[in-house]
Amino acid sequence: MIEFFQAIADPAVVATVLRVMTPLLLAALGVLISDRAGVLNIGMEGIMLSGALIGVLVSAATANPFLGLFAALIGGGMLGALMALFINGLGTQFIITGIALNMAALAATTLGLFLATGDKGMSGALQSGVLPNIDIPLLGGIPVLGPLLSGHHMLTYVAILAVPTVAIMLARTPFGLHIRAVGSDPKAAAAAGVSRNRVQFHALTLSGVFGGAAGAYLSMGYVSWFAQNMTAGRGFIALAAEVMGMGTAWGTFAAAAVLGIAETVAITMQTKGLPNELMQMIPYIVPAVMLTVYAARRQAKARSNS
Amino acid sequence: MAEGPIVSFRQVGKTYPNGTVALTDASFDIRRGSIHAICGENGAGKSTLMKILFGLESPSAGQVFIDGAAADTATPDFAGKHGIGMVHQHFSLVPILTVTENIILGHEPRSSIFIDRTKARRQVVELSERFDLAVDPDARTDTLSVAAQQKVEILKALSRDTRLLILDEPTAVLSPPEIEELFNRLRDLRAAGMTILFISHKLHEVRALAETVTVLRAGKVVGTTPLAEVDDAEITRMVMGRDVDVPRRQRQTTSAPVVLELAKVSTRSHDPADRIEDISLSIRADEIVGIAGVDGSGQRGLVSVLSGLMHPASGSIRLSGADMSRAAAPAWRKAGLAYLPADRYAQGGTASLSLADNAIAGTDGDKALQWGPFLRRGAIRQRVQQMIADYAVRAGGTGERLDSLSGGNAQKLIAARELAGSPKLLIADQPTRGVDVAAAALLHGRIDQAARNGAAVLLITADLDELLRLADRVLVLFNGRIVADLANHAGLTPAALGPYMLGLEKAS
Repeated sequence: MIEFFQAIADPAVVATVLRVMTPLLLAALGVLISDRAGVLNIGMEGIMLSGALIGVLVSAATANPFLGLFAALIGGGMLGALMALFINGLGTQFIITGIALNMAALAATTLGLFLATGDKGMSGALQSGVLPNIDIPLLGGIPVLGPLLSGHHMLTYVAILAVPTVAIMLARTPFGLHIRAVGSDPKAAAAAGVSRNRVQFHALTLSGVFGGAAGAYLSMGYVSWFAQNMTAGRGFIALAAEVMGMGTAWGTFAAAAVLGIAETVAITMQTKGLPNELMQMIPYIVPAVMLTVYAARRQAKARSNS
Repeated sequence: MAEGPIVSFRQVGKTYPNGTVALTDASFDIRRGSIHAICGENGAGKSTLMKILFGLESPSAGQVFIDGAAADTATPDFAGKHGIGMVHQHFSLVPILTVTENIILGHEPRSSIFIDRTKARRQVVELSERFDLAVDPDARTDTLSVAAQQKVEILKALSRDTRLLILDEPTAVLSPPEIEELFNRLRDLRAAGMTILFISHKLHEVRALAETVTVLRAGKVVGTTPLAEVDDAEITRMVMGRDVDVPRRQRQTTSAPVVLELAKVSTRSHDPADRIEDISLSIRADEIVGIAGVDGSGQRGLVSVLSGLMHPASGSIRLSGADMSRAAAPAWRKAGLAYLPADRYAQGGTASLSLADNAIAGTDGDKALQWGPFLRRGAIRQRVQQMIADYAVRAGGTGERLDSLSGGNAQKLIAARELAGSPKLLIADQPTRGVDVAAAALLHGRIDQAARNGAAVLLITADLDELLRLADRVLVLFNGRIVADLANHAGLTPAALGPYMLGLEKAS
């Protein structure tokens, strides 16, 4: 047990957990905003993948990783807005729209990568930048705590600060109130003069910006290149994290942390000589088990209530 | 404050794009600071009138004057600009939000980018104290009782400097003490200068609350009159229309065996349309029993327990002597039920399937139409063509979609299917609603024929002419109970049914 806590307090382990958690948390918060507005962003995977490529291409072209990040945010937001136009403007079904975006994004990013580098697999030939880690002055100097809290990737801090921001946005701002109203009962919201189309457009756009940030982190922080299908299902794991978080920002944070720990365990076990393929299943099994437990408990609760 | 009526309708008409005439030449005034009731049957034009006044629809003829000035209807924020609030029959509250959040939704007080929660809460508390409508501002709306939710709905309607409050059938969901409480609050509102428009088809409520009543019938204003100057019989006559005698059906025999028998059947439901209480009735072969009653008086509950869609909470149902109280829909069908549902595209048939598919639905196991697991397409086409010819269905071919037919032709096809064979019990729920005269005459003939062939028929209809034309006996439902059981004879008129339907009288 003591060993376990020592292992957890190890700055290297904490850093790994935060590293794998960051893209999940950013994406899951994006999913949360869309879900509360009643249009679950199934296209998160595709938006992340697009954000990852856009970040690499723009940072390579401008030699400025911040411009790359900015472009990834804009690109993600535009894809979210595009989904809203399809769903609310043309009346497409939101799940199908999301799946279509995911499939299109996989093909389009591969094509884009090939056009830019002549390689369909990796962007290694491009001189793309990396977003910096941030050393927090003073805090970094404190023993034990300092190395745990300081020196992480800038988007990791952004992701963690985004949790209370999204929570407050939903609970305390008119926009958040409109999102909750539209997501719960669009007709009643319309009767009060709140337009479902407008609110869902804004929510999906914002959701896309979060997806763009998650993607930029993957290609400009987690690693320093773009690879074909590099999201590897993280957009879907983010969907699971949002469901496990029961539609709240703090719950989503907790779920993303659990998934981050699960993936860290998987990575650590691989280095201990356990079969790779088996360990790679862990990040996918954990959400499946947790969702099952959650569903079973909710059913038991519903039974005991009736 | 300006003098004169707060609202004047002048020759207001509304014809919908599909040709439905909902309102013609409606003219009347609503006096400032009064409670004004609007009375009329379903489809009389009440809701169209309200939609125009609330700015949801624009009239196709005539004008609405507010404070004496011609108003531009159906503009965004029409209601807000003129201080008109509406409490809908079905509440428009978001269940997961708190009472405060629901009331401020759409016009939140702000401080910088945030909702000013202190101010919002204070607004709600002030509103609630001013109008003496006690609510917990922090409660989640879906934890409140229906009566409390209605208070929230009223506060929401009052929250934007409202001068005219429209209430659409506000008592339908309330218990008698809650109704008394609501009426007291509405009287207080009037005393405070509010004008209230009260829509109801319960006459004793109108009389208890309002000073003036406008009666609508078939899209026309029959009259606007102070309630002090008319008696109930007069209003009833205005609501039901003048007496015209209709030709009635003649039974061959009155001694045929009893087919359907209900004893003290009750259902439990929060929806009044599904709630019936202590219903006892029996129908013989070759007998048509008609059910009259304003919409939502329990008709849907009655039909549901007689087709296996709902089970009674107590009481017994027997069909030809067999106990059917717990029988599911397939068992009812097997026992010889034929059913013409009120909604012919949702329940009567499948809108997107072909006429042939719709016409043979429910015949599975019919050897003439099947060869092993396969359908015999030729035999099916032949049979369906025969049905189309027999019932004079105007259709291009058996492969057309059901929803390509007009309402009357779709209903004829469904009747052809249901009346094939010889049903023991026929339930016809609004069989000719929205159907043209020729199709209605054909359907009436077939329903009569089914009874002659030995079926017990339960006819539920809002069309009182149809009721008197076909029924041998008329039962009136009010609040889920049978309040009258009348033999249909030449003297029975719609006006005679009125007092029972409006809950003024009881007889059985």
